[in-house]
Amino acid sequence: MAAPSDDKPRSFEEEALPHLDTAYRVALRLAGDEAQAEDLVQETMLKAYRSWHQYRPGTNVRAWLLTILRHTFINEYRKRRKIVAELDVSEIEAWTVFPAVQDVDPEGRFFDSIVDEEVLRAIDALPDEFRETLTLSDVEGLTYAEIAEITEVPVGTVKSRLFRARQALQRQLYDYAVEMGYIKRREA
Amino acid sequence: MTEAPKDIDCREALDRIYQYLDGELTPVRAEEVRLHLERCAPCLAASDFEHAYLRFLEARSWAQKAPEQLRRKILEQILFEGNRSGTK
Repeated sequence: MAAPSDDKPRSFEEEALPHLDTAYRVALRLAGDEAQAEDLVQETMLKAYRSWHQYRPGTNVRAWLLTILRHTFINEYRKRRKIVAELDVSEIEAWTVFPAVQDVDPEGRFFDSIVDEEVLRAIDALPDEFRETLTLSDVEGLTYAEIAEITEVPVGTVKSRLFRARQALQRQLYDYAVEMGYIKRREA
Repeated sequence: MTEAPKDIDCREALDRIYQYLDGELTPVRAEEVRLHLERCAPCLAASDFEHAYLRFLEARSWAQKAPEQLRRKILEQILFEGNRSGTK
């Protein structure tokens, strides 16, 4: 039951295009700059359009698009990324920040002093798989199951990546806040 | 709820705290965390801090939108493709 050809542009425009902003934001975090992100999104949308007949109506179109985006990034754009991941996620242990702030700022008010650019910079410093997991979760609000589907790993892996990504990011933001004088470092 | 919530220790509670705050636990597992937090002030404080952190991430202006010319380019591409290649 193929749709008449005239409906293809329309159904794509109605169902897929509303997710363009999401695709662009995820592309920005993956690719690392605006020009690459635009190319990546354009290519993703064209691929998606060409395989629109494979998309099953009523299933998760956002996850479907993001899966294509991610494959396109890995195959063609990852090597061109200029920003190098510099945060060492393997060194992250549980609860590194809270013990340091619980006496001076247990409610984490210092976070609010940190500007968006700094947060994005810190996200961009995460290694690929942690950056993509955190972006899909905390920037786009996807569920663990959706992230598992898109990144092709078990839900347990999503959980552990998210944990480490959030803790590494938190540590980075804390160090920045200390450096800027938003919060006092606890005397050792 | 057929399964009764069990007592869990601090390590277990903190291990699950993000899943708890993300609403990703089953009702029984979530109840176990909730009961632990109810009677463990240090874990509750840690949980409040992580909650504040997640809310901070959530509240950031992630409102970056795709540039208008990108949207136009994609629309043009689709129309071009659509007319050229039909359903496939």
